[in-house]
Amino acid sequence: MLKNITIGQYIPGDTFIHRLDPRVKIILSIIFIISLFIITKFSGYVFILLFILGSICISKIPLGYIFKGLKPILVILILTVGLNIFFTPGGILLASIGPLKITSNGVRLALFMGLRLIFLIVGTSLLTLTTSPIALTDGIESLLNPFRRIGMPAHELAMMMTIALRFIPTLLEETDKIMKAQIARGADFESGNLMKRAKNLIPLLVPLFISAFRRADELAVAMEARCYRGGINRTKLKQLKVTTIDYIAILVTSILVIILIWNRFWPW
Amino acid sequence: MNRRTKKIVYGALIAAVYAVVTVALAPISYGQIQVRVAEALTIMPFFSSYSIFGLFVGCIIANMIGGNGIFDVVFGSLATLISAVITYYIGKSNLRYKRYLAPLPPVIINAVIIGIELNVVFNLPLVASMLWVGLGEMIACYVLGLPLLLYIDKNEKIKEMIR
Repeated sequence: MLKNITIGQYIPGDTFIHRLDPRVKIILSIIFIISLFIITKFSGYVFILLFILGSICISKIPLGYIFKGLKPILVILILTVGLNIFFTPGGILLASIGPLKITSNGVRLALFMGLRLIFLIVGTSLLTLTTSPIALTDGIESLLNPFRRIGMPAHELAMMMTIALRFIPTLLEETDKIMKAQIARGADFESGNLMKRAKNLIPLLVPLFISAFRRADELAVAMEARCYRGGINRTKLKQLKVTTIDYIAILVTSILVIILIWNRFWPW
Repeated sequence: MNRRTKKIVYGALIAAVYAVVTVALAPISYGQIQVRVAEALTIMPFFSSYSIFGLFVGCIIANMIGGNGIFDVVFGSLATLISAVITYYIGKSNLRYKRYLAPLPPVIINAVIIGIELNVVFNLPLVASMLWVGLGEMIACYVLGLPLLLYIDKNEKIKEMIR
């Protein structure tokens, strides 16, 4: 039952977008998010749509995965659209249901906000779909490195994240085993009120806890034996390198941003 | 053994346990009426500083797997980070009943931050969501967390191991 959990939604591949430096990808994603808020007219979204569709085509991600990312925010999406439709004054009155009025301004704003939210989610999920969690952690570590001087433990946090990600499948399997073992001994995880159910989990948590600490101990000894000394002077097997394709991606995104800023002065 | 290596590895495993427990008990871990059992681990900073970052990372991962998308990752993890820091300082202080105070920060901070988040993002009633989240945290932290804390506190050997 616990076997089918995937962390992140990474889909392996070897396309232009997959090969981009994770740091560049993260920064470009942030720029993309900011550029969504530059847009003031619908015509701006045309360029965003082209950009997104182009990226999806290049990365060869099946459209189904993209829509899957939209599912969790469906509630928020409906809510924002609904609120904006009914509570925006001004414009031509299109329809009214009791005290609620639908105006042309409302519909316009609702569509505008809805599109912005959709592009926001699709754009960010494209980042997690094409970058493995490990590469993402590497990128974040290297981006946070300048903040080391003010006491940000960038390397330590990244290392923790990597180890945690590596141990989650192991511990999930272990949880499954412990659960079954305890059920075989008569433990009851499924009945009773919330309070009782929480209390019943103690026979699951204690062995899991102990096994996790035992593994931590072994891992710490193993790392120690291999002279792990943390971030200083540490070299990497896979060096992050900004290459030509990264410059191309930066160029394309800059063109998009320039067009979007220019778009603000268009009459439509 | 090098303290730094130990800190990183133990922190990482706390993160992994947090994420695993949250995901394994997913039906009751997310949403308005949630009892996130993994929050019992928020008593760990009472004994050790590395668990602050462990809980933070664990919460990020857990919210990335389930949860309500980017909002939960940012605000949920921030709430956990803040409460972990407070619990750590309670552990270091000389308060008389500090053992009983330690599980309190996650209850209050999560109730406030997650309550506001649920209110803003899903338009759920503010006070009700705060109370429900607080109640769920209370169960996790006081029913599971406090006995865990008292047990570790009594046992010098375990205390030494996780310090």
